[in-house]
Amino acid sequence: MFRHLLVAVIATGLVQAAPVAKSLVRIETTSQEPDYKTPWSPGEVSGGVGAGFIISGNRIMTNAHVVSNARFLTVSKEGDPKPHPAKVVHIAHDCDLAILTVEEPGFFRGTTPLELGGIPAIESTVSVYGYPIGGSKLSVTQGIVSRIDFQPYSHSGMDSHLTIQIDAAINPGNSGGPVLQGGKVVGVAFQGYSGDVAQNVGYMIPTPVIKRFLKDIEDGHYDRYVDLGLSYKDLFNPAARHALGLTDDDSGVLVGSVYGGGSSEGIVKPGDVLLAIDGLPIASDATIPMDNDSVPLAEVVERKFKGDTVTLDILRDRKPMQLKIPLNGPWPFTLHSNAYDEDPRFVVFGGLVFQPVDQNWMTALQPEDLRLRYTFDFYIEDKLYKERPEIVALSGILADPVNAYASDFRNGILDEINGRKILRLSDAAEEFAKPADYYVIKMAGIGRPIVLERKAVEQARQRILSRYGVIREQNL
Amino acid sequence: MMPRTLALLLALCLPSMAGVLPAPKPKPAIAGNLSILRVNSTSQAYDFFRPWTKKPPATRRGLGTLIEGGRILVTAELVANHTFIELEKAATAEKSSAEVEQVDYECNLAILKPVDPAFLDGMQPMPFDTGVRVGDRATVLQLEPNGEIAQTLGTVTSISVGGYPLDNMGLLLFRLSAPMQQRDGSFTLPAVRDGKLLGLLMRYDARSQTADIISTPVIKHFLSEAAKPVYGGFARTGIAFSITRDPQLRRYIGLQEPGGVYVTEVMKNSPADKAGLKIKDVILSVDGRPIDQDGNYDDPEWGRILFSNLTNTVFHPGDTVTFRVFRDGNTLEIPVKLEARDRSKIVSESYLVDKAPRYVVLGGVIFMELSRPYLQEWGGDWLKDAPQRLVFLDAFQNELPEDRGKVVFISQILPTPDTLGYERYENLVVSKVNGKEIRSLNDVVEAAKTPVDGFQKIELEEDPGLIILDAAAIEANRDALTRKYALPALQRL
Repeated sequence: MFRHLLVAVIATGLVQAAPVAKSLVRIETTSQEPDYKTPWSPGEVSGGVGAGFIISGNRIMTNAHVVSNARFLTVSKEGDPKPHPAKVVHIAHDCDLAILTVEEPGFFRGTTPLELGGIPAIESTVSVYGYPIGGSKLSVTQGIVSRIDFQPYSHSGMDSHLTIQIDAAINPGNSGGPVLQGGKVVGVAFQGYSGDVAQNVGYMIPTPVIKRFLKDIEDGHYDRYVDLGLSYKDLFNPAARHALGLTDDDSGVLVGSVYGGGSSEGIVKPGDVLLAIDGLPIASDATIPMDNDSVPLAEVVERKFKGDTVTLDILRDRKPMQLKIPLNGPWPFTLHSNAYDEDPRFVVFGGLVFQPVDQNWMTALQPEDLRLRYTFDFYIEDKLYKERPEIVALSGILADPVNAYASDFRNGILDEINGRKILRLSDAAEEFAKPADYYVIKMAGIGRPIVLERKAVEQARQRILSRYGVIREQNL
Repeated sequence: MMPRTLALLLALCLPSMAGVLPAPKPKPAIAGNLSILRVNSTSQAYDFFRPWTKKPPATRRGLGTLIEGGRILVTAELVANHTFIELEKAATAEKSSAEVEQVDYECNLAILKPVDPAFLDGMQPMPFDTGVRVGDRATVLQLEPNGEIAQTLGTVTSISVGGYPLDNMGLLLFRLSAPMQQRDGSFTLPAVRDGKLLGLLMRYDARSQTADIISTPVIKHFLSEAAKPVYGGFARTGIAFSITRDPQLRRYIGLQEPGGVYVTEVMKNSPADKAGLKIKDVILSVDGRPIDQDGNYDDPEWGRILFSNLTNTVFHPGDTVTFRVFRDGNTLEIPVKLEARDRSKIVSESYLVDKAPRYVVLGGVIFMELSRPYLQEWGGDWLKDAPQRLVFLDAFQNELPEDRGKVVFISQILPTPDTLGYERYENLVVSKVNGKEIRSLNDVVEAAKTPVDGFQKIELEEDPGLIILDAAAIEANRDALTRKYALPALQRL
């Protein structure tokens, strides 16, 4: 009945939708989100629906957020009610894209892979396909291209990439669906605003980002985006321009910080003026000309890969220089990104729960402790990662006589155990595993240590584990 | 600023219970009515966002108590940032202006004197109460509009060291449980027992119906310091400590004695630091009085009281008190010479009352020195809402290098042709100006006198790292800047 009706609709009405129907899939995800407050527990199971589309090589493209933390996935082809188990082949949380496949033989028979197009023109019309608000039937909306700009990608919370804003509504269930123009994919629908923030504003991931993702995974592995690892500010002020040796030609930006551990460390210096990137002149508002448009200078690096090099023309102390920057991985910047498909790491000892601090942990626990907030917020800017490759916090206390006097230390940063500086969670696990009469645990900025006697910890161990349902004492 | 928070507490809490309970029946004349005056204080705080201006004036009303020497005792909060103080006789509404003779915001007390001493003729000073105990009854006095005294009877529920409004000051506090009503002019209220002054009410929580009373020992300490040629205030040893109830901790440090507290912090240049007290020391006794695991000594008058009462209220700045401490298995006697806090070394002031904030405007760039009142301009949730780097610098100021000096920052940049492109920069910490280290606003003024190659180069501790101004242009545009933004002066130091 269902299929019959759908065919009828396609046959009579949506002429355009007919070919797309052979490329579109509905994705149902069963996911399990870890609970950072009880890191040993497997977390709550929930379900969701999104869209995806078939591309070359028997691959299904969708958003990373549609399939994040997935335990079980099924895809259904448009017009075929049978759900087929699928699995994630590649997932890129920093640009919210993922590739799925279905191993069942014959699944892709009769389907049509969609081709990728270019960047659609402003004001041109595009069509969005998906399953908004959970329905099981294909939905099409149309809109025009409103703006092409860098926007934050809310999935990771930290990354910004080229984004196309359209005025078609994008709702939950649209995610991962293709946006088409002239039969080609010009974007993947991925985020929007709730109605009380803005109306008729939807966002899609444009093809430069999609193509970069597909190229990155050609070697079978996703390497993430690379970054210059520096901050720069526009240079409008005439006095500043003269002092730095620039003319009034509206070119150049001033480097503010160079982040240690980033690609530019030791090559670029604060106070340098960036004049060109890979030969493209940088305007004083930090834009470059590219694809007949003016785009943020970061776009050059956006299209590169780990191991590539970028060339910067700069002024240092008023003298022109050329710098080559080999682009490497993004540590330590990932600390502030939402993470997915990861089990929380922790160590439980004497009822004290220690966890490395990252964005997931901060979101779950919302600590008010000022020292912890400072260390997290300024981890990169103040180069705190040099002292602490990981911020390990006393995140919880499973109350027991053994730790009766430790409650003041909650959300403190673990600094030392028995005189050893704790640089990462595994250091703590190692120290706790060593036999000692006393475990003297020092927290950063707190003059009194927590002291646990081995005997007391041993006596309390089983009691705490069974009372609080701790099924695992550590996950490093 | 704390005074404002407390003013709100009183203002917001009292109305919520108005009419809940019947007014206690006014009793005929008690000794108090000859010693109580209305005090109307008009105050005007500085606007830290525009440090050259003051906020709109506001009037607070409270009751002052006449004590010996023609002096009127009120809370310091009542007269904080005052521009005009007026005394008013309850019965006749006769008025006289008054001046502040002595004020200490940390103990929250002030002495007022009428401009015309004859104004107090016919009034009687109120003597001080002695010997109050937990469980005793005491009365809070308020004035009815017609000048009659309204009395609320309450019970003293605790006598302990508690938080005073400013600078983490912990002093002896009486807590009274009393069902008070909202009445006009309740900013300071006397609490009395048998016609004698027990203390001044400085805080009232309508929900729990508890009043915090500045205690007689604190008032007496304040008055005896005020009688000295130089007011010495309340001493601070400069330590933080932790209780030692944890038996695992006691065994680990080898502490055999039953009591003692564990020193967790020693402030630089504090009396404790100068005397040689160290983190990890366990304080066993102070002035020969044993300290228990929670930090209390046995006071002959008040019972178990936190030992800071000894160092800040029983003893005075200049006195030497012996600390017996347990350190690495040995017991040491350490004499500590008490001093009030040396405020000249404070990086970020926790309060600035009656003082204008310092600032310097260079071009349109406004420089200020970090202080907590600046951060508190962001409102009740300032810890989260104020610029976070400044919040952290204020919170962890004791961990900054000793020669760090003041934290100078750019609070705002007024848009002018000279500051084009800088308009959005705000709350940026300054490290150098024209290559010179900046440790105070005076350093900024000094450094600005020697531009480099005709430019004022302001280096920042954070993005954007560098701000450059044309020295000659900002000099030429001084008048235009002051005129356009109506700045009364380009600096106040």
